[in-house]
Amino acid sequence: MLEGLVSQESLSLNSMDMSVLERLKWVQQQQQQLQQVVYQSSNNSHELLQILQFHGSNNDDLLQSSFSPFQMLGSGFGPNYNIGFGPPHEAMDECISRTSSCHMEPVDTIEVLLKTGEENRAIALKNKRNPEVKTRGEEKTEKKIKVEAETESSMKGKSNMRNTEASSDTSKETSKKASEIQKLDYIHVRARRGQATDRHSLAERARREKISKKMKYLQDIVPGCNKVTGKAGMLDEIINYVQCLQRQVEFLSMKLAVLNPELELAVEDVSVKQFQAYFTNVVASKQSIMVDVPLFPLDQQGSLDLSAINPNQTTSIEAPSASWETQSQSLYNTSSLGFQY
Amino acid sequence: IENTSESSPESRRKKPRISEMAEIESRRINEESLKRWKTNRVQQIYASKLVEALRRVRQRSSTSTETDKVVSGAAREIRETADRVLAASARGTTRWSRAILASRVRAKLKKHRKAKKSTGNCKSRKGVTETNRIKLPAVERKLKILGRLVPGCRKVSVPNLLDEATDYIAALEMQVRAMEALAELLTAAAPRTTLTGT
Repeated sequence: MLEGLVSQESLSLNSMDMSVLERLKWVQQQQQQLQQVVYQSSNNSHELLQILQFHGSNNDDLLQSSFSPFQMLGSGFGPNYNIGFGPPHEAMDECISRTSSCHMEPVDTIEVLLKTGEENRAIALKNKRNPEVKTRGEEKTEKKIKVEAETESSMKGKSNMRNTEASSDTSKETSKKASEIQKLDYIHVRARRGQATDRHSLAERARREKISKKMKYLQDIVPGCNKVTGKAGMLDEIINYVQCLQRQVEFLSMKLAVLNPELELAVEDVSVKQFQAYFTNVVASKQSIMVDVPLFPLDQQGSLDLSAINPNQTTSIEAPSASWETQSQSLYNTSSLGFQY
Repeated sequence: IENTSESSPESRRKKPRISEMAEIESRRINEESLKRWKTNRVQQIYASKLVEALRRVRQRSSTSTETDKVVSGAAREIRETADRVLAASARGTTRWSRAILASRVRAKLKKHRKAKKSTGNCKSRKGVTETNRIKLPAVERKLKILGRLVPGCRKVSVPNLLDEATDYIAALEMQVRAMEALAELLTAAAPRTTLTGT
């Protein structure tokens, strides 16, 4: 019976294309039902261990990591398994209901073997195990695990240690999907599975992540940076972009130097408000995606004496601005630099 | 990582306090800089200040004759003015803005002192660094180049340099847009004199 179970599981797990987390939850389900079967037949933990190890060798390493907490609950069935796991119950139930909806074929055959009277204990066990497995999938030998092991049952301490050692040798598949847990009292960074936990490595990793976060910001702002991977390429793009912008500023300043004498002459036609309205139009046309530019409020007071010179220019803003928009777009398209935003 | 700084910015511990302040600053720069230089208000402030400064520049150079040399000199002045106005718009929160504002003062002082001596120092310093330099890894070399491009950020740590670069790029983009708008406005408003003048 149990061998049939094993072969079924191995087939299903290897053939199906699930994500790591889904597989994990599905495996938990299998364990729970398997465990219930075992409990019913009242086997001792030793035999259970054998079965689980056989399981582990059959399937991938993922199972092995999730088997160790299963071990802890193997014989410690006392009333203490509901300690401290009240809140996650609801969340876990949802998770379970979600995962139980898929891959029902192999589960059905196992459920047939179960008695319905064990329902409550099964649910309690599920709720107990899931947060543990989740945290275990994300940690290495941290103090929290040991604390949990001790609260469970002191007898199983030895087997727990054995399993943690075995699980620490396994691959880092779960760690790649899991994120780091953070405590709230100090800057705590949880080490990922299979990575060093000494102070220097942690500090180094925190520093690296800070830098990579900042590079991501830069990647967002510099166009064309997402096509390149790696720090060197991105830095090349960033340097190129900064130089490009600076050259543009030089070019525009030269243009303004030529046009500057016109500023005096154009005072009658140009007012600050018109300039700002044009500016916002230009902004809107160039960066339609990123910038949410509201229309320029016409009654806003400028701080220059220019606005005092021509107060009656405000009425003529609408007409020129429309023409400027088309003008700006055509000029932008034909600009010598061909700068693309 | 970002939990402690939010909970206690005024903590009594020395070492975490400094890092908290730095973290708050850098996070603010990162999250805000993209939006900061795009708000309407900032653009209006910059635009009005730019126009005002340009008028002052024009008045100062109105006495000289119109030759190509003057144009390039005027271009340099305009660029420096624009940079200064840009830095002023940053309100002293970023390193590059402070460096721009400070360098202008320093340049003025140097002009009054002996200019030749300072250039000689620059050359000798460069020669020393050239000979001592072994090939650094590519990323670090590029970071150094970036530090040279952003004003006032040569000896800044890597994360701060990236923050400064982010803000600087956003500010430069705004500057380009403002100057383009101004140039278009001037060419549109006074087409007769510009096109037929030369």
